[in-house]
Amino acid sequence: MKAGETGGGGERSAGGRVPSAGGLPTRENRLDWTQLCALLSVGIRLDLRRSRAGYGRRRVPPFVLALVLYVVMGSFLSLAIITTRDPFVVSLFTISAAMFMTALSVVMDYAVVVVSPEDYDVIAMRPVSSRTYFWARMANLFFYVGAMAGALAGPAAIVGGRMLPGGAAFGVSFFALALLGCLAAASVVVFVYAAAIRTVSYRRLTTAMTYVHVGATLALTLGYVFLPQLIGGNMRALAVERGAWMYWAPPAWFAGAASYVSGAGLPGDGLLALIAFVASVLVFGVAARTISLDYSRRIGEVATQAPESAADSGAARGAWDRLRGYGIAFCRTEAERAGFELMQASMARDRKLRSRVYPAFGLPIAAYVYGVLTGAFRTPDAAPRDLDVFTILGLYCVFVSFFFTSATAASDQWKASWVFHAAPLPRRSDLMTGARALVLSRYVLPFFALLFVMLVFVMPLAAAVSYWALVFLASLFAFALLSFAAPHFPLSQPVERTGRAGQLGLIAMFGALVAVLMAARRAIAVMPAAAAVVLPALAAAAIVAELALRSRLERRLAGRDFDG
Amino acid sequence: MDRERAEGAIVFEGLRKTYDGVEAVKGVSLRIPRGQICGYLGPNGAGKTTTVKMATGMLLPTAGTALIEGYDIVREPMEAKRRIGVVPETGALYENLTAREYLRFVGRLYHVPPTEIEDKTATFLRLFGLSDAADRVMTSYSKGMKQRVLISAALIHNPSVLFLDEPLSGLDANTALVLKELIRELAAQGKTVFYCSHVLEVVERVCHRVVILNHGEVVADGNVQELKEMTRQGSLEAVFSQLTSPGDLSELVRALSEEVTGEHR
Repeated sequence: MKAGETGGGGERSAGGRVPSAGGLPTRENRLDWTQLCALLSVGIRLDLRRSRAGYGRRRVPPFVLALVLYVVMGSFLSLAIITTRDPFVVSLFTISAAMFMTALSVVMDYAVVVVSPEDYDVIAMRPVSSRTYFWARMANLFFYVGAMAGALAGPAAIVGGRMLPGGAAFGVSFFALALLGCLAAASVVVFVYAAAIRTVSYRRLTTAMTYVHVGATLALTLGYVFLPQLIGGNMRALAVERGAWMYWAPPAWFAGAASYVSGAGLPGDGLLALIAFVASVLVFGVAARTISLDYSRRIGEVATQAPESAADSGAARGAWDRLRGYGIAFCRTEAERAGFELMQASMARDRKLRSRVYPAFGLPIAAYVYGVLTGAFRTPDAAPRDLDVFTILGLYCVFVSFFFTSATAASDQWKASWVFHAAPLPRRSDLMTGARALVLSRYVLPFFALLFVMLVFVMPLAAAVSYWALVFLASLFAFALLSFAAPHFPLSQPVERTGRAGQLGLIAMFGALVAVLMAARRAIAVMPAAAAVVLPALAAAAIVAELALRSRLERRLAGRDFDG
Repeated sequence: MDRERAEGAIVFEGLRKTYDGVEAVKGVSLRIPRGQICGYLGPNGAGKTTTVKMATGMLLPTAGTALIEGYDIVREPMEAKRRIGVVPETGALYENLTAREYLRFVGRLYHVPPTEIEDKTATFLRLFGLSDAADRVMTSYSKGMKQRVLISAALIHNPSVLFLDEPLSGLDANTALVLKELIRELAAQGKTVFYCSHVLEVVERVCHRVVILNHGEVVADGNVQELKEMTRQGSLEAVFSQLTSPGDLSELVRALSEEVTGEHR
């Protein structure tokens, strides 16, 4: 990232502002196409090569893996066409999912997608204007989001182009509008953040930033899960009642536009198309005139901020802090304690790490809020279904464990992990065990304790205990499973901007396991005595996975070379 | 050029940087004329790199100004930055690019004509002994190889002012020798060099002028001979130690040695 015209310090001299000429391009802030193309081509190249650094040197970049997952997801979405032949409904179903996924991945990857940390050292001293840098980053983001959106919407565009009214015209217009909708959704996320940084002093905002991420995740998820409520019809049967709600739901604007442009839409779709057009112009217009001007400087502030002091982060050893570090009591060796303390200090002081991890909490909280608002928790055993709020909440809870496992393996300072190899440790895997103990004791267990309390308030006690135990044990199982499948030393992986997209895709694909989980819930709902079998079985699976992990981790990590 | 003649190729006026209430650089003022090699010395944490970052637009000064050939790095950053080449202290490279790709990229940022980029890239890679590795991603490079790429990138647009922050770091003896000669040659051609280093012998041999920074303040400024006379010391190392040492160095060495071996006397 670059500090841009004005450098990127935390403080500003009185004359530090670059003249912006009321948002018009000046000699100092004009868009330079040569530089933009150079920055964009390098950005894309880096995205595609990123994973080849660090441990393991995977042959297939995570970006490509993510695209494959999104194509599979898009294929599932395109199955909607079998249920309904209404172009608007198909578009709404697919575009809303695509917009949600892209916006969520930008929120979760914000620290690396928008604030590309390594750019600062390379570009800040070079004559690249803020406007050029901003649009280069946006173009890079558009490439990334466009590819994801294309993978998601492509299968439906192909199937819809052959089977739906409007034919090829529908396929093409649907695909283009799905792309536009996803780009707009991703852009809005970026612009909201950029505008927030412009309005609030970064110093103040940065403390709250990790929680802003949680809020953004929550808002997005709530918006998405509430869409079927807004529609008033039955999304499971893909029956949609058109009405005023369409004007409040952005995916409906783009779906209406796709339907209208293909010639197969209703008269009201024209208005939706107009709204989609105006909204897109507004979003990009605001960015072009205002946000791009001092974007580099604002981003520079992020890159050059002083590290959080121990006092700032609350890492100063107080009684409360010692209490929160109770997990270290379960660490058996010095290496485990070292791994625990390394992760503890990093989570306390590394804002970027926190901002990559914390958004995971927004998802289950959103599902919970949705369940409360719709009253679904009051009758938990009424009619268990695979895709009800319990399933979604369960999926998101499992996601928290997954997210922590993978996110805490990555760090901007991953090269410091050479010390894991240089130190004469009898078992290097103890470092990971210690780090996992921190994640489990400080974040996962308290989260589930909180969830339990939250569930008890809204559900009958027996149902809350049963459901909570199911989800908790499944999460522990997942926590061990991912560590086993993709073992990494703590903070030892380069931060990859395309990695999270793959994770989101993976989680979405994780439906099979969740289906099993929810089958267990249904069994318990139908016959409560089944809990006596299902819950111990899940607990046993979690324990076995954890024991297997401990015994095999050393062997799996032994093959990992340091490549810094 | 008129502005530069009037003011100097590099001008700092009361340059100051504060981090969370701690003053890293405390009002540094310097005028470095065209063609001069200015050595910028100081102990660790003295504020050398912070000064370079402010002068090159990477950090915003808390107060004061930095002019590059008359252009204010804060108010006229594009003009100022076009004139400078920077070898930063820590590797500012996209390591997942090849050296050739990286040099092309940097050349394009400075609008160097494509044919010139190709010619210069090939020449730099050959002269710095990187031809064989030119198309390998730089994650596999040694520190010295990355440093050679950084030096090439700093020179590819033919800047008139060079900021070199520990440029010899990681270089083998032959490449270091080449670089030292190159710096002299470039200065003779009228380029201005701001040279930060801890290697006092090199500074003594290469620089026309030496500025010593301690705790963010300039504590000495002159040519090597003047500094020796001022401090009545026989070498730049002794001058540096007298001006910046926190205390008795031999006592410090003894204490450290005892700590390492555990043999407290």
